[in-house]
Amino acid sequence: MKNGKANERTYFDRVHTWGRLWTVGALLTLFSVPIAICLHYNVWPQAHDVFMALIKVLPIYWGTAIVEVATYTPMLGAGGTYLSFVTGNITNLKLPCGLNAMENAGVKSNSEEGEVISTIAIGVSAITTTVIIAAGVLLFAPFLGRLTDPDAVFAPAFTYVLPALFGALGAGYFKKHWKISVFPILVGVAVLLFAPTLPSGTLLFVTIVASIGGALAMLKLKWV
Amino acid sequence: MNADFKESGFMYGLAIFVIGFVVLESVFFIVKAWKRGKELGISKETMKNTAFSSVMFTLAPAFSILATVFVLAGALGIVLPWIRLSVIGNLSYETVASETMLEVLGSSLRQPVTDPSQFGAVAWVMTVGATFPLVLLPIFCKMIQKKVTGAVHKSKESSHLADVVSAAAFIGIIAAFIARAINGKTADGVGDAGFMSIVTLVTAVVVSLLLETLCEKKKLSKLQPFAMPLSMFAAMGMAVLLNQVLPEAVTALTWWNHI
Repeated sequence: MKNGKANERTYFDRVHTWGRLWTVGALLTLFSVPIAICLHYNVWPQAHDVFMALIKVLPIYWGTAIVEVATYTPMLGAGGTYLSFVTGNITNLKLPCGLNAMENAGVKSNSEEGEVISTIAIGVSAITTTVIIAAGVLLFAPFLGRLTDPDAVFAPAFTYVLPALFGALGAGYFKKHWKISVFPILVGVAVLLFAPTLPSGTLLFVTIVASIGGALAMLKLKWV
Repeated sequence: MNADFKESGFMYGLAIFVIGFVVLESVFFIVKAWKRGKELGISKETMKNTAFSSVMFTLAPAFSILATVFVLAGALGIVLPWIRLSVIGNLSYETVASETMLEVLGSSLRQPVTDPSQFGAVAWVMTVGATFPLVLLPIFCKMIQKKVTGAVHKSKESSHLADVVSAAAFIGIIAAFIARAINGKTADGVGDAGFMSIVTLVTAVVVSLLLETLCEKKKLSKLQPFAMPLSMFAAMGMAVLLNQVLPEAVTALTWWNHI
């Protein structure tokens, strides 16, 4: 591969400029939804009611947002980060998809090649998700109900989609980095013993800190 | 006003507008990355493989997201959940946000929303809660990445350190979900850790390792990008199969039923 160092800063700078513009555009687009609903139906909810609901959800979700931006940004690359945060479903889809693509292509997440591969993977994933949801909504509504109904034959496939996804994704990493994999899993299991319904955002924070802490300790002991 | 307001032509128009934006942004970044990839000498085959394996990778989780759209559709109609789960939204946030707003209004997701004012309130809470990362990104994204990239390129040791920390951070993410499959509990009891979650997890790991070994030994480089999604589908298939052939006493066994 050619060394793109001469253009490196310029390319990254351009990605951040595009990303900022698209993000502001996304904010305007998103807020246009409740505004348009209220204008079109001429209904304005009581600010007090909305505030009472927001005060319950904002501390959790805004706190999670800060942790997510700090954690995922270095892993997803610039383009991948801007795209992921607009299209959503980061933990359960965009992040594993981007990292899997970089692993397959043999590139590092903090390189320009990694930036390119991660952006392509996350962009394609976002379009695929959008197409599947749109097609499902428009064409398969009655059929999907039968697929995902708790009594349906295929229901267990969807109930256990996360163990399937993260087991498949983790296998290669565990094989390659088994020394640093054991500790965060044990920490996660131990935490869940005391708080079994702990939200994923909080559990993620705990296991990421445990994993990085454990890895740094092993690095110091020259185990990895 | 009747309940059709949730699935009116106006709502579909809004959905097309928002979803069009997402697709346009994705296409824009893919085109720019593809051009840059060519300049960097990344082979067309590598980039094509990346795209194909990403499609495969996305199929199952996307159907899972689609299932959430239908769960929320009972109360909110199909269009608003469709919009919210196509942009920023995620499985857990949208459900909690809408349920919290409806609880404040003395209602719940278990019954259809028939008042447009309640509908508007739900749309506001879903939007305000979810958009905070988009406020943070333009301010902090460049700064975070500059610091990380700077630290990585400082020296050989710092590059090794960055590799280990980067792998550890990702393992930390996977560890949370593995731990949940081993020992987690959900609020509604569906998908609690137990026999089925462990078997699904183990199947995914074993099939993934077998496919990886097969690809290495037989030099099947074209199969490599599909090893992960194939392992995921195999594990999901195992969950369906076991649910059909084993007695309910076994498939319904979770560590939390007896507590």
